[in-house]
Amino acid sequence: MLFRMIKGALFRQRGKMLLIAFTIALGASLATSMINVMLDVGDKVNQELKAYGANIVVKPQDSTLLSDIYDVEDESGAITSAWLREDELGKLKTIFWAFNIVDFAPFSQTEAILPSENTVEVVGTWFNHHLDLPTGESLDAGVASLRSWWELTEGTWIDEQTVDAENTIMVGALVAQRENLHAGDTLTLRGSASQREVTVAGVYDAGGDEDEQIYAPLDLVQALNDTEGKIASIEVSALTTPDNDLARRAAQNPKALSSKDYETWYCTAYVSAVCYQITEVITGSVASAVRQVADSEGAILDKTQLLMILITALSLVGSALGISNLVTASVMERAQEIGLLKAIGARDRSITGVLMTEILITALVGGVVGYFMGFGFAQLIGHSVFGSTIEMKPLVIPVVAALIGLVTMAGSLPAIRMVLRLDPAEVLHGGH
Amino acid sequence: MTKRKMFLRMITASLLRRRSRMLIALLSIAIGATILSGLVTIYYDVPRQMEAQFRNYGANMILVSADDQPLTGENVEAALSLIPAEKVIGATPYRYVNAQMVRSQLSFVAAGTDFDQVKATSPYFVVEGEYPSGVRQVLLGKEVAETIGAKLNSVIEITYKPTAVLSEAGGELNPGATLAGSAEGFNQNLVYVTLTLGDDLTIASLEVDASLQTPEYGGQCAEEFFTSRFLGKALPLTFGEDVDGVSGATITSEAVVNAINNAQVTENATALTGATLSMQVTGILDTGGKEEGYIFMSQEDMAALTGERDRYDVMELSVSAGAEELASYVDQINAMEAGVTPRLVKRITNSETAVLGKLQALVFLVTAVVLVLTMICVSTTMMAVVTERRREIGLRKALGASDGSIRTEFLGEGMFLGLLGGVLGTALGFAFAQVVSVNVFGSSITFQPLLLPVTILVSMVISALSCLLPIRQAVAIDPALVLKGE
Repeated sequence: MLFRMIKGALFRQRGKMLLIAFTIALGASLATSMINVMLDVGDKVNQELKAYGANIVVKPQDSTLLSDIYDVEDESGAITSAWLREDELGKLKTIFWAFNIVDFAPFSQTEAILPSENTVEVVGTWFNHHLDLPTGESLDAGVASLRSWWELTEGTWIDEQTVDAENTIMVGALVAQRENLHAGDTLTLRGSASQREVTVAGVYDAGGDEDEQIYAPLDLVQALNDTEGKIASIEVSALTTPDNDLARRAAQNPKALSSKDYETWYCTAYVSAVCYQITEVITGSVASAVRQVADSEGAILDKTQLLMILITALSLVGSALGISNLVTASVMERAQEIGLLKAIGARDRSITGVLMTEILITALVGGVVGYFMGFGFAQLIGHSVFGSTIEMKPLVIPVVAALIGLVTMAGSLPAIRMVLRLDPAEVLHGGH
Repeated sequence: MTKRKMFLRMITASLLRRRSRMLIALLSIAIGATILSGLVTIYYDVPRQMEAQFRNYGANMILVSADDQPLTGENVEAALSLIPAEKVIGATPYRYVNAQMVRSQLSFVAAGTDFDQVKATSPYFVVEGEYPSGVRQVLLGKEVAETIGAKLNSVIEITYKPTAVLSEAGGELNPGATLAGSAEGFNQNLVYVTLTLGDDLTIASLEVDASLQTPEYGGQCAEEFFTSRFLGKALPLTFGEDVDGVSGATITSEAVVNAINNAQVTENATALTGATLSMQVTGILDTGGKEEGYIFMSQEDMAALTGERDRYDVMELSVSAGAEELASYVDQINAMEAGVTPRLVKRITNSETAVLGKLQALVFLVTAVVLVLTMICVSTTMMAVVTERRREIGLRKALGASDGSIRTEFLGEGMFLGLLGGVLGTALGFAFAQVVSVNVFGSSITFQPLLLPVTILVSMVISALSCLLPIRQAVAIDPALVLKGE
């Protein structure tokens, strides 16, 4: 009988029930999409912030005096005597937070003499270097994504996958202007150990110090100054969690942490933890956070997430009120029906049961439809803003289900109670 | 009773009698209006606030000298006047020189700057200790501190050798010409000489600045008993033949001879004096960048070190503006030709344009999705409330009310609710936006007056539209059927 009554109500009042289900679906889709976007926005914005370049620099431990802190040349040569090993670079992808390392590139600088007898700094690095990892995976790493702000005024980026790529260079705008170099030109670079005939692949405008430099494949620079297998520094771009108190304490001295704190710190992608893990795998290295990038990133991530949380909260409250509001209205509308049921002897409890079952079934249908609609909205936002998919967390399903359940109950129960308290005669009569 | 009076009475009566239902309708419109006004306020405010956050990345424009004119307070001021003052978050002058540590003889880049402005243009600087606040205080880069073994509050001695001035000098050796020169003396610290030539091109007068030498020994070379030995001698001199050194100060004496030999004709001999300053380390700087290899000091100390005031190499600007606006400032400053070349820091401006664009698109889309969904939600609730009154509509129709008058009455009621909900929602929405702004960005927002009429209008239109559909249905049906309850 109960089943028949519910079925009857659901089908007879199709229009009304559809309206309720639709509203619940809207609310559920709003909740689903907003919670998912909110949970994923940190990762997505973090990816975008990689445009600012590396947030970690790895340098040799013994070279507290690096050539970059001098404007003057190092005459003795002893200053850059400490090197990192090129063959260890693959180890960066074996650390605990390997997955968070978006890109990295080794660097090695040397001075070379141009045909005009002018000296220029040549920076050796990877552009899109193919690397086979000890784990059996392979990846392309290089400077292209670490210098996203460069504008190519001529030619193209160096493609290391092409033949003879080790004899091509990219020239900074100021150097190109001074030396009158253009894409496709060939010239001889004289280094301290050897000289090479090279072709200009492209000219870039970086709006900074790099405009006075020449970027070349690492092999070329190592041949010029006879430093095969050695690199001076590594720039790493990693997805990190904004620093908190623990991270700041750990950055001072990780050994001073309690073992529980240490574990939390080590297993969270704080920039200091990632630095620490890099130091563990690269021999004789010191990894440090580039504050300009790492700290600003943290601030922006925090703000964006907080903003999204508050907007999500607002939309959740909005949809919750909207749903419970409508459910209340729909119960009150059926006062006559309830009065009639009461008048023919139905007990309060069974009336409540019938109504609640009806509403919850409607809510279930609406919720399921809403979840998929929300999925669509989340992907719409993900694709049009970030050009990538928003990850749908399974955790969201029970949260949304609980929210919809609670909201419909909160909307219907008090209303049912109120209607039940009314005198059936009065209700049926139509006066209030 | 006039028609209008009756109309008003019907609306108010329905609102008052059916309190609970109307409350529900009002609530739902108010929610919609709150979300509308709150999100739109945030949407308009977020770009500005976010832009401020992006200034954490530091300077997005630098001013450097043009056409070999030095950057001075005057031409920098002229260039800055083209950018509205409220847009400039910080303007930090830097003067870079190569300075030497007296004790370790290592040379580092010393930067003279304004620390109050540094805090604004480089908020990512992490300082252990404090920024210098007085004279003879320095902020050491971490690498410098580690290299020379300096700690907080230790005192370091810094020397500056102004070699640059010599390279600018040059000219004919005529009677009466003034020459200036320098040479490395004890511990590679410079000795400076200024001399004038007599009629026969021999030395007519000589002044020695040996202030960077050990006072008890090399310091004697500046005294007259030594300088008088050079008078009347012709250039170049041979040490030990033309002049003898001071005993115990051979290195400095030889340096004086060398300095005389490489002396060049100069107009500005007084600029050639170096200085040594004892400075206290008040802070150690950690940036992870090249600044860790610099020594930062105040402009006053830099002036004391170099003897030059009001000269900068770079002016770092942090301007709260997008890429296009910045480019227009660059054009304006270039057009002024004040001897200043503005350059955009592409790394910052290009990345900011990319990321800020995404964030704005995110807030826009989220706002759009939330608004559309909420508005539909509001109208379904309104529809439900009106649908419920079909019986009433039927009754009125049976009593002889025209379709038009019923429609007008319900629309009037809906729009009145829209007005009320809109006002309520604007207030609540502004309160929400304020909470967001204070919590997220730590600053309050200004109320957009235009938003009040817009929110009210939208609420009224939405509630009117959502009334229309169910009324049309109810009006279309035969009153008898409606009254029967089908």
